[in-house]
Amino acid sequence: MAAAPQAQPGLDLSWLNLYDNPTTATPGKKGMTLKEINLGRYGDSARGAGDMTYRMRGAVPRPGAQRFGPNYQSKSDVWSENCVMLYEEATQRQWSSARDIPWDTLEELPDEIERAMCQLCTMLTEVEFIAGDVPGQWMPFVSSQDFEAGLFLMSQIMDEARHTDVFRKRALANGGGLLAQGAGLGLRTLLEARDFTEMSVLMHVQAEGFVQSMFRMGELIGQTDADKRIFRMSAQDESRHLAFGVMHLKYVLDTEPERREEIHHYLDKAEGDAAGGGSGDVTFPPVFESLCILLGGGVDKFDEGVQKFLLLRKRQINEYVHRLEVAGLGDRRQRLGPLMAQFVDPA
Amino acid sequence: MSDAPVAPATEVPQEARDRARELGWEDGLIETALQSGHSLQEIWQALRGGVDGQRAKQFLAGGAMIRPDFAWMKVPTEWGIRARASDPQIGLTIGDLNVGTYGDIPDVWNNRSEIARGSYPSAHVEDMGYTIFTKALVWADNCVPLYEEAIRDRWVSATDLPWDTLEPLPDDIEKAVCQLMTEMSDRAYFEGALLSGWLPEISYGYLELKLFLSTVIYDVARHSEAFRKRALSNGGGLGLQAPTDYSRAAQEARSFPELADILFVQDSMLLTLFKNGDLFAQNSLERELYRLCARDRQRLMDYHIERLKHFLFKMPERREEQGLYFGKAEHRMAKDWNDRVVAEPLAILLAGGKDNIEAGERKLRELRRLQVQEYVDNLRKATFHRQNLNGRFKELLED
Repeated sequence: MAAAPQAQPGLDLSWLNLYDNPTTATPGKKGMTLKEINLGRYGDSARGAGDMTYRMRGAVPRPGAQRFGPNYQSKSDVWSENCVMLYEEATQRQWSSARDIPWDTLEELPDEIERAMCQLCTMLTEVEFIAGDVPGQWMPFVSSQDFEAGLFLMSQIMDEARHTDVFRKRALANGGGLLAQGAGLGLRTLLEARDFTEMSVLMHVQAEGFVQSMFRMGELIGQTDADKRIFRMSAQDESRHLAFGVMHLKYVLDTEPERREEIHHYLDKAEGDAAGGGSGDVTFPPVFESLCILLGGGVDKFDEGVQKFLLLRKRQINEYVHRLEVAGLGDRRQRLGPLMAQFVDPA
Repeated sequence: MSDAPVAPATEVPQEARDRARELGWEDGLIETALQSGHSLQEIWQALRGGVDGQRAKQFLAGGAMIRPDFAWMKVPTEWGIRARASDPQIGLTIGDLNVGTYGDIPDVWNNRSEIARGSYPSAHVEDMGYTIFTKALVWADNCVPLYEEAIRDRWVSATDLPWDTLEPLPDDIEKAVCQLMTEMSDRAYFEGALLSGWLPEISYGYLELKLFLSTVIYDVARHSEAFRKRALSNGGGLGLQAPTDYSRAAQEARSFPELADILFVQDSMLLTLFKNGDLFAQNSLERELYRLCARDRQRLMDYHIERLKHFLFKMPERREEQGLYFGKAEHRMAKDWNDRVVAEPLAILLAGGKDNIEAGERKLRELRRLQVQEYVDNLRKATFHRQNLNGRFKELLED
């Protein structure tokens, strides 16, 4: 690589000689994805030291470039080995809440069922609203050296916007409305995180994991084709967010094993907080009750709904433990807070 | 109650004991419930649902089933809403939801939590730390349709651009393309990161605006990676990082109106640049790339104009102040433009090679003049008549 240019009056053109190793990425089976251009000195494996100037990885440093404030200098602070693939998947799988949900299949439901669905949607639109704010809060701290992680977070912001809007649409599309504020006390924990990995394990792995487990029971919760499709499409997006979080946690534990206890500490707090349900809490009364009505099939089948709710909770907790195991935190099983430990299947 | 799973040795969380005491549960009642076969989860739900000690004791003694009161079903929100797609071609939009009280975008939003606009507030919620509660600072009516348009207009850089049509270019041309792409990729990524950081400041009162900003963030993410892909796909590479003067000005903004004013300058200039992409595109891929970027940036510009207009109408006393931010942004932008590594690649591309760079510089000056002219026009559309346009910009207009 040649030296960086000096400023001079008149023509300069020294920038024409900044590098001498040409790169020609070629499209793969899925087109020209980030994977195809992740090569040579531009690849994530060639990442040099971070800087605070928003210089994209592989670009030649500009003499005199100003800093923009602190960001993470170490790759392991924000990286996830699947973020390259997940970003491209996100771009391919964008959907439209306006057109891809069969709104015309909505049909009048018994009042108590419609109210329960609207209550659930009121809670979900709040949850998804925060789920967009949280990655936004961390974007300025992601170095451009790890821009693929940043691109993924920006795709997540878009996904969460769509989820915020689709649950609001559902609440207002079938003769109902929004009901009681109902997200409970687990959400602020996500905004309170003071470290990217803390945020990711709480939001991507725990909160979005719980939401994902619930969405995957959408066939039982949803009352119409439109409802079921909303849950299916949203679950597809949540899978990406969850996958990012699991692989980020794995990357941290692989590269900085000394952080294991610190990460347990974040989970100790989240699992044992005042709400008891962790982030993405579904035990807040309006949420619990509306879910039981939907799962049971009516107020008069509330007890049946409670049993299904307990199965949902069991599924949430066991899938959560499994994901932590995949990430390399299998010892979490022995340390779960009591409200979660009660549901865990034997190893 | 149930035969739900119960852990063999159940540890009762302190939070549950505290809540039980608060509700008047006798000491040992939780253990009694557990011994009776009730799961900790059921007990916890009863505690969270506000079941007091007397009712819990009666139930455990074989009394009637405790049923929740479903208070959330009776909250006084507007009920009976059946939003319908006003245009079946577009589908059910967020604009279609703005009916009755749900469409009331408040001038000032008072709730500090994440409450969904139109739902019934709970007193038992925390402050989520939002700082923007005033409509005039952020709002533009067109953010509602622009959000849905952004979703309709989405594109994918990996598959919507004709990568297999790229052919080798003369070395100076390819390097000029790559230098331009490096700069554009930097600027787009930075803008996405910057706007992302502002999302947690804006309260739910202005939900639609946040949704629209999310599409902008996603758009510029895509621009950033598309420019990078182009730089790395035709025998070139990334060049010198972009100048930092303008971007630092945006980073330094202390309020949303200041941020939006500063971004107005670059977003207008980039829109004009991309709209005229045919002048410097070297192949069909680049023409398509610039066209798609221009379409995305047109939505952003439409928002900027409408927001500024609304802001100046609602807060006329702050008109002069805005001139300070535009002045700062123009100064930094002019400085960036003056950088040889910014100007020369464009001049080479406009001229068709470095041998004709003088002709290219003349064409660049014409393009810059057009950028400034359209910027001034955009300000005028927003009812902001720029009194003290940056001297370098003024020179271009007087050419």
